[in-house]
Amino acid sequence: MLEKWKLREVIVLSVLAVVFAVVYLAFLQFGNVLYGMFGLIGYDLIFGIWFIVSIIAAYIIRKPGAAFLSETIAAAIEVMIGNAVGPRLILSGMIQGIGAEAVFAATKWNNYRTWVLIAAGMGSSVTSFIWGYYISGYAALSPGYVTAMFFVRLISGALLAGLLGKWMSESLAKTGALNSFPIGKELKRGKPENGITA
Amino acid sequence: MLLHEFNPSIKAFTVIVCVLILSVFFDPVTPFLTLVMTAAATFIFGRVSFKRWILLFSPFIFMAAIYIWSALVFSKTIEGETLIWTWGIFTLTEESFLRALSLGMRVLSFTSLSLLFILTTKPTDFLLSLMQQCRLPPKLAYGIMAGYRFLPLMKEEFEIIKSAHRIRGVPKARTFHDKAAELKRYTVPLLAGAIRKAERTAMAMESKGFTGDKNRDFYHKISVSWKDWACFAFFIGVILISAYISWLFGFLQFYNGEL
Repeated sequence: MLEKWKLREVIVLSVLAVVFAVVYLAFLQFGNVLYGMFGLIGYDLIFGIWFIVSIIAAYIIRKPGAAFLSETIAAAIEVMIGNAVGPRLILSGMIQGIGAEAVFAATKWNNYRTWVLIAAGMGSSVTSFIWGYYISGYAALSPGYVTAMFFVRLISGALLAGLLGKWMSESLAKTGALNSFPIGKELKRGKPENGITA
Repeated sequence: MLLHEFNPSIKAFTVIVCVLILSVFFDPVTPFLTLVMTAAATFIFGRVSFKRWILLFSPFIFMAAIYIWSALVFSKTIEGETLIWTWGIFTLTEESFLRALSLGMRVLSFTSLSLLFILTTKPTDFLLSLMQQCRLPPKLAYGIMAGYRFLPLMKEEFEIIKSAHRIRGVPKARTFHDKAAELKRYTVPLLAGAIRKAERTAMAMESKGFTGDKNRDFYHKISVSWKDWACFAFFIGVILISAYISWLFGFLQFYNGEL
């Protein structure tokens, strides 16, 4: 998979993962506050933020594996920084990444329209929920509550990963830092009248 | 053998396998005993100070408490269980109480396993081991290491952006809307700078002859011996012994199928 990647893309992918690993850790604190207020479902409200790097990396780099690898590396970096969730997090990252990657794979990595990005965010919601069901023992909770958690997470994945990820990538592309990537070229080609300069 | 010498990849694998096995138990005793034994192993074989350990562990006590609370309020009651308390629409059975307690204990036992890993493993060794034992492509591994090295640089850059904002008189964000705008003001330039730096790093690596070829050799070799697998077996044994003791006292409980 990685043979077709340029080193430049790999490093950019890793750097994105590093930045978002820090963001993820910060949101863990915020998640804990919500968790304290609303119980388990508190996490689901903002769960989407933890998928955002998949969307951003895939939208910027547009190669097979970008969504999966970025999420996995972000998780690995979190472990390296010393997050007490530990190596299990790498597995969670892989599972979240697979959800988004599957959606991009379904379009043969050719379509990066808004709805695909939203669907990718929701894809991560689905896979991460299945994993959570097993690992956190949701089977012991009342089915109504678990269903509510699932839908909240699905919406969160659509908004906080899909839409926010798209918006962030585009704000980033406007700075010109992504001019050598497909997204930057698309932006230049698409709307030259906006006066976007490198 | 110290836990620091335990091969990082096998150590990570051990922790993940332990977590997967622990997830099939729904009684509080098995995870509790595992927690006690892993913590003991961290202190004895990892030479980790209790102070350092408890500092990282304590937030999870709070999280486990909330998990137990959630699992109690939203517990699933199954017919034929022993009722111990009812209040309005809330019913609490002995079994669901034990299940809630078990989920809380599970959080804590996972944490103790994770701490055992992170407190005794150097990040670079972990990556080198992933490359040498798990065939992680060097391109990716060195990419991650380069990215990891960016962390302190980004912290510096963050401070610079903060000062720049202050000098230009950006007011402190108070409302939610301002906070969101502030987040954008920080992340976009940080990311843009990081991406530019990443491209330069890649160029530097390539100009120094890094090809990402898998057939490379290593200055720092990380090996695997029978001791690593003995360690693996030890931790699996810890869980099995915990489950056995739990069974002796009649607590052992798998989830019995009502999915």
